[in-house]
Amino acid sequence: MARLIRTEKEVEGRYEEVWIVVEEDALEQWPAGPRRIVGQPAARIDGRERATGQAVYTADLALPGMLHTAVLRSPHPRARVTHLDLAPALALPGVHAAIGPGDIPQLVDECNYQGVAVAAVCADTLAEARAAVRAIDARFDVLEPLLDPDEAVARGHLLAEPRVRSRGDVERGFADADVVVEAEFRTQVVLHNSLETHQAIVEWVGDGVDVNISTQYIWGIRDGVAEGLGLPPDKVRVVCHYMGGGFGSKNSPDDYTFIAAELARRTQRAVKCALTRREEHTAAGNRNATIQRLRIGARSDGTLTAMSGEFVNAVGWGGWSSSTEGPMQMLYACPNVSTTTHGAKLNLPPMKAFRAPGFVEGTFGLEALLDELAAKLDIDPLELRRLNHADQDEVEGRAYSGKNLLECYRRAEAHWNRRHEVRSRSTDVVKRGVGMASQIWYGGGGPPSYAWVRVGSDGRAAVVTAMQDIGTGTRTAMAQIAAEELGIPLDHVTVSLGDSARGPYAAISAGSSTTPSMGPAVRAAAADARRQIDEIAEQRGTPDAPLAEIVALLEDAQILGKGARGPNPTGMQVLTFGVQVVEVAVDVETGEVTVERVAAVHDVGRVINPLGASSQIEGGIIQGIGHTLSEERLHDRVTGRLLTTTLESYRMPTIADVPEIVSELVDEPDPHLTNLGSKGLGEPPIVPIAAAIANAIRDATGADVRRLPISREEMLRALREAAAREKERVGAPARV
Amino acid sequence: MLELRRASNLDLGAGTPIHGGTEVVPQLRSGLLRTDTLVDVRSIVPRGVASDRIGAGATLREIEQSGEVPEALRDACRLAASPQLRAMGSLGGNLLQSTRCWYWRLNWPCRLHGGDECFAQAGEHGEHAIFANDYCASAHPSDVAAALVALDATLRTERRELELVDLFRVPTEDDRRATTLEEGELMLDVSLPPVEKSVYLKAMDRKRWAFPIVGVAGARIQGEIRIALAGVAPMPWLLEDGLDTATPLPRNAYKVELAAALVKRARAALA
Repeated sequence: MARLIRTEKEVEGRYEEVWIVVEEDALEQWPAGPRRIVGQPAARIDGRERATGQAVYTADLALPGMLHTAVLRSPHPRARVTHLDLAPALALPGVHAAIGPGDIPQLVDECNYQGVAVAAVCADTLAEARAAVRAIDARFDVLEPLLDPDEAVARGHLLAEPRVRSRGDVERGFADADVVVEAEFRTQVVLHNSLETHQAIVEWVGDGVDVNISTQYIWGIRDGVAEGLGLPPDKVRVVCHYMGGGFGSKNSPDDYTFIAAELARRTQRAVKCALTRREEHTAAGNRNATIQRLRIGARSDGTLTAMSGEFVNAVGWGGWSSSTEGPMQMLYACPNVSTTTHGAKLNLPPMKAFRAPGFVEGTFGLEALLDELAAKLDIDPLELRRLNHADQDEVEGRAYSGKNLLECYRRAEAHWNRRHEVRSRSTDVVKRGVGMASQIWYGGGGPPSYAWVRVGSDGRAAVVTAMQDIGTGTRTAMAQIAAEELGIPLDHVTVSLGDSARGPYAAISAGSSTTPSMGPAVRAAAADARRQIDEIAEQRGTPDAPLAEIVALLEDAQILGKGARGPNPTGMQVLTFGVQVVEVAVDVETGEVTVERVAAVHDVGRVINPLGASSQIEGGIIQGIGHTLSEERLHDRVTGRLLTTTLESYRMPTIADVPEIVSELVDEPDPHLTNLGSKGLGEPPIVPIAAAIANAIRDATGADVRRLPISREEMLRALREAAAREKERVGAPARV
Repeated sequence: MLELRRASNLDLGAGTPIHGGTEVVPQLRSGLLRTDTLVDVRSIVPRGVASDRIGAGATLREIEQSGEVPEALRDACRLAASPQLRAMGSLGGNLLQSTRCWYWRLNWPCRLHGGDECFAQAGEHGEHAIFANDYCASAHPSDVAAALVALDATLRTERRELELVDLFRVPTEDDRRATTLEEGELMLDVSLPPVEKSVYLKAMDRKRWAFPIVGVAGARIQGEIRIALAGVAPMPWLLEDGLDTATPLPRNAYKVELAAALVKRARAALA
């Protein structure tokens, strides 16, 4: 039965209170452990299409008569357009239309970051469109940009009021501490670098629009485009069958969709607007830089007494100030915690959500400093973490719906115990060490989400829902859930998704939420179909007959099941947990850091597809290694203009940078969460890797790295500092 | 409109020579190189690989896979670029590649582009030159060039022979060019003296497919040690006076430390 409830909705760590209609989640969870299909490794059901190029991505689409777009973007971080003449562009061959500021809100003449869209042209070919954009006569009055995050905070140039979160008495907590450690950590700007750049094709059909778009949120695009164009939402059809990566940056329609829509309206043609790789490095969002000034106090037995942090998110001109303080607030039992988070508004491109935004950055600072504390206290880092384990959510005093972090720690022991052997393989020049870090993050998903299941007389089933598979393998996971519930083979299930006109509402694929949001709806739909089949079997007097035998009677009749995602458990905190143990080798003369092995143990509830899950862990760790060691989007410190706009100057990891990765999942269903007990795994693996690498470096060399990426420069600096400290310690006269 | 012509003899005529295209094509696409005519020189540039002579048309992959060339050159090729790029890129093209200085690559009006400022000096220069950087702080990116300078190679063009190191120059106010190659002059091959031992060591930002932060080539020739560095000056840098004469910028002093470590290792390997 449908029920109207007021609930908290969480995406990427951001909460909002909403009224929603939910269906009861009446199904009992399956018993823990792998089942016939769910919990068994399954190759992707669309793997062949993807690997052979048969899968059609938005970037592959060429609609009849489709025009191509090029966009004039501000080359300056802060400038005013003083003159703009589109006529020279319109005069060129192949050009159909040109638009500028005043035509749509996404095109502006007050430019507050490099890459903001100013004008756009569509033409028969992309080359013609680009030539036309070069021909636009645009003049800019260049203004002084604000680039320094600390300066922005001092001047009160913020995206929102500072976020102050406090519990207990922090001053007293520090006074009670036997040991206090403090340090400043800095993280850099990194880019999502989706293989498929941001793009959309818009075509007006009748009195509505069709939008083919590379997106993580079909229904969010529908609503966003409808609002932007002043259309009823049902007049907007959104299609995304295959998607080439988003990592949080493709949740909204953005300028390219509205540019394509306006040009399509003017030309009455399908219009494609696709970012180039250089635009992708400029105008597609980023993980913002942070400055973290942290302090932790503990008693000599290791009990945390106080933690405090001042966090500056160097957000850029737009976006939001993510929860960089989250790990400090949430990861450990500590009665006295105080954090202040500033969102500095700068003349730099806006951030967008990027795989556990805030927690990736915040975990680096917190977990690296915690190991400095462990070293000072001479307590084993794993032991220190166990000692301060939070048995309940400390922020609001809520119970966890399910938490198996201690079990993660137990399983991590085998990897942690390798450290003596790893260290023993050090030489004078190459030092080896082992480090660890814990992971806390969201990933519970939520309602609403719906699915339909259709079973025909051939004994095959189709799952129909207008969700998206952003490349994570959820198409396969949904097929597994339906096959399991219906009791039919996996290859008897197809999944129809990716089209808002062909299926019910489905949740966003962000915040590690697709499986926990959609999976329970698919199971409920399959169970609804199964119930009807059982009723037919009952009427026929063969209640135990196999499904195939029952549905064979149907001929052209079909069994239609529908299912909805039920509510999250009331008053409980739904989170994911884990720990990673990293082995590194550091060349102390050249500062070269080599990650040799990563063991990742995560607790995300029931695992639907262990093969897909290990892929997610590997992907997260590899992306995290790039974040930790080599990736950095740089801007010129004088003008603020971006310098790393190509894949040559912006250094993502290559296959040669990828270590041995061992992934383990606790695979214990969350007893309170939905009919599956499953949480998401898209983000958790990237959360602890930077800190675990930093801690392994300290274990190997004694050096404290405080800045990402850990370039040769940062590594050599930290080694020099450690050497100076050691010299002072050894050389200092004995204290009396 | 761009015309592609196939060269049939050493007189190239007007146009920009192109071989593997791994540098020319990206420069064309970024607007760094403007030309009406490309001249495909693949059929006229020698490409044989022998211990004492290597055609300028040999690909990096061919050199890397040859058992005959000195180790420094082989490793410089092996550690350069990616397998795909090495299969296309030629020795000659590699020597003539432009700096990876981001300001230059993004077409900022810097001194190398005829302007009156080096933006790296006051800007982001973590990857830039630590020698000869007072006019232009760009770093020469070629691993192969450093190796050949250390190996004391001689370059033959269709009109002269010169020491390979003399192919390169540090740009000045009066002459902004980074090479001494004349208009229409075509590189044919490089020849090497007998080398007793050689080595190439490279520090980069990731394990593969990156230009050198510092590359150190060393060779022992008739008992003499020659060391040349990549990524530390606007040209491949023959290290004659050691590293003490380096003039690092505020944010690239770490490169001196890094170079010192690699030079020490190279010397040890040659001993």
